[in-house]
Amino acid sequence: MDTCPIREELSYPEIASIFSDVFQYAGPVARETSPDDVERWDSLQHIALIRALETTFSIRLSMDEMMEIRSAGDIENILQRHGV
Amino acid sequence: MSSVSLERGNPRKNPPVKSPGVRLAPDKKIDEIIEAAIDAAPECVRQRVILPSIDWSLVSPHNVGLLLGSLAQARMAVPGWLAKSLLVAGHTISEDLARSLRGAHAVLNRLNCASGELHERDAISAALGTLALDADLDPELVVAIIRRLVALSWDSEALHLALSQLHRVPNALKPAAELFGKHVARLPAARMRVSGFSTIHSFAEMLTPAFAAQGWRADVREGDFGSALTDLIAPPEGVDALVLLLDLDGILQRNWRQPAGELLAVLTERADMLGSALDVFSSRAGVPLLISTIPVPAAPGIGFLDRHHAAGVRNAVDTINRRILDAAAASSRIVVIDADHALSTLPARDQVDPKLWYYGRLPYSSEATRLLAFAFADAWKLLKRGPAKVVAVDFDNTLWGGVYGDDGLERLACGDDFPGNAFLGLQQECLRLKGQGLLLVGLSKNNPDAMSVFGRHLGMALKAEDFASVAVNWEPKPDNIRKIARELNLGLDSFLFLDDSPHEREAMRRLCPEVLVPEMPLDPAERPLWLRRLVATWPVRLTAEDEARADLYEVGRKAEAAKAEASSLEDYLRGLEQRLVLSFVGRDTLVRIAQMHQRTNQFNLTTRRLTESEIAGIAGDEGRGIVVLGKVSDRFGDHGIVIVATVIIHEREAVIHTLLMSCRVIGREVERAFLGELLRELRQRGVTQVRGDYIPTAKNAMVRDFYENAGFTASRSDDEGATAWSLTIGKKKLPASKFVTVSWET
Repeated sequence: MDTCPIREELSYPEIASIFSDVFQYAGPVARETSPDDVERWDSLQHIALIRALETTFSIRLSMDEMMEIRSAGDIENILQRHGV
Repeated sequence: MSSVSLERGNPRKNPPVKSPGVRLAPDKKIDEIIEAAIDAAPECVRQRVILPSIDWSLVSPHNVGLLLGSLAQARMAVPGWLAKSLLVAGHTISEDLARSLRGAHAVLNRLNCASGELHERDAISAALGTLALDADLDPELVVAIIRRLVALSWDSEALHLALSQLHRVPNALKPAAELFGKHVARLPAARMRVSGFSTIHSFAEMLTPAFAAQGWRADVREGDFGSALTDLIAPPEGVDALVLLLDLDGILQRNWRQPAGELLAVLTERADMLGSALDVFSSRAGVPLLISTIPVPAAPGIGFLDRHHAAGVRNAVDTINRRILDAAAASSRIVVIDADHALSTLPARDQVDPKLWYYGRLPYSSEATRLLAFAFADAWKLLKRGPAKVVAVDFDNTLWGGVYGDDGLERLACGDDFPGNAFLGLQQECLRLKGQGLLLVGLSKNNPDAMSVFGRHLGMALKAEDFASVAVNWEPKPDNIRKIARELNLGLDSFLFLDDSPHEREAMRRLCPEVLVPEMPLDPAERPLWLRRLVATWPVRLTAEDEARADLYEVGRKAEAAKAEASSLEDYLRGLEQRLVLSFVGRDTLVRIAQMHQRTNQFNLTTRRLTESEIAGIAGDEGRGIVVLGKVSDRFGDHGIVIVATVIIHEREAVIHTLLMSCRVIGREVERAFLGELLRELRQRGVTQVRGDYIPTAKNAMVRDFYENAGFTASRSDDEGATAWSLTIGKKKLPASKFVTVSWET
């Protein structure tokens, strides 16, 4: 597997505003953005993230999806799967 | 419904409102489609197609003008769903067409037109005040209006609307977050200890907006995980209330191997455990307890048998709730928040979010957590402010249907038949409030003979003498209410004003802002239940007898306090079946012991922050001292290592260098049992004299008398208040606790 050096842009701009609301994160959000980049993205705030995603996109996430989310890109994949 | 789903079919198409006229997507094809749809607007509106899914913030005001023009030409009103999407996108609708707009739509249209002038602000403030109290506003419109108010820098209006709608529109704070932060900082603090049996963090966070909506700043100290019982028997100090959020799984901690037949015993035990902890609380605490009941379970445990069988989940809920209610009935300090009522707008299955329970033991879904937080805030406000003392009520079209002056006595609707029975229903509610001790006041614009209606009309439940005072005349109602307030010697802030006329309500709000003026439902059929739901009419206690009983209780409390407290506390502690297992620090426990030294603030005699190597140094082979730790378990489970002491031994003398305990087990005599066993161990090692210091800090006042209670004598104290204590341990009886079984790890 080769790694891609270019930071991919998000196709769901709402994710950036959710990151700012939930994590008070002001930096750029790319698909690769992960808890390593976002200081307040800990196991507790993960719950707030899940809730924000559910209300913003009117979807219901499963336990597996909750665990699957390890980066902004994971969120996008899930949103696509939900047909958002 | 269909318009809503079409419009919101793709939530992604509703980005934050952009200012009108900014074209964000210069995509020609899309433009062409939109223009074609606008050309065919009347047909599209009729069929509700295409237009509902357009993101109007991407469309220029010019094109919106064309759209509205073509509807006008076809003599069609702008339907609500279209008006809403246009207005939320920041567009304006011309005055001609806006005439069909009502309520929030009209207000948002005026705001979108406004340029920020002072006269515009004055003109709209009354309409905004009414909107704020509307319980049926479209949440999206609320958020758009607040956003627009913030953009116009009309801060107080934005904040007021956000705070009033917060209980039903969680997003209302988003556009006003900064204003909200500043506002909350200025509010009086409600200092609360918040605990439960499961994770209460989300609930504790939600208390901030909920309390702010009622005018308080929630100053929350979160208890440790599952610390509800501990907080009940050892109520925390320095707070104004203890807040407990209950959930069934957290309390029950069921053993799944237990046969169904034995469950009843276990359940009764758990309920009694909580019950006696509540009794202990009410006998010793100086602050109120706000506690929730446990809501209806999301799924029955054993189907149709669930409510009556001992193994039923619903039966468990009912049993535990019963115990809470019994404790509350006997104590003026306990306020019970009925979770089922608080969550009544949410189906039981949506009150929980199972993945969050499995992830982090969050007992309720975010929506349920929000509703519960607001219910707690209601209870707090009621407790602090008390309910209204006076109901000032209008006559025509409020207490009866019709206008006495126009319709005459015979045609007034009130009685057993429809539709008069709805008005009779409101009169009966007024009587109920009178029975609760509220005063009834009549405020009617009528000739004085309108009072005769109560005696002459056969359908009336109220009689003229039910009113403590009346003003039936043509004077403005605000003047009348002031007069009556003086006459009754009551403040205007204890008045509740019920009137079907929006103009009278608005006049009252303007001229007597202290009077509580709720928006009464338009439909008379809705009003009786609406009045029952109005928290301002809820009594804190019910009858004079109850009041008297509470007073008696207060007196009895002083006389019986020691006895009652001792017996219920004893029951509680005995029921805990605590086991304390002591051991010496080892490689596997060193990290935890060092951690405890860093973190423990309250139950900490010397607050010496020993590190791993310092602890290892004391416990090392050179024989300098010993480090003893204690693990506690009880019927509810294992608490792990909760107490530790480091002791430096020099021949026949020992010095307790550090002694500290986790808050989780405070108030259960664990410390007493531990100290006794520690002293026994020292005696076995040939020690005869034990010394220990108490060094006061900002947080450890609770252990000031620890050594004294254990029989030590103070040998000296220094200027900072530090005290040195000592004890000679010959053949003396050592401290012990009958509630803790002590053993050493083998």
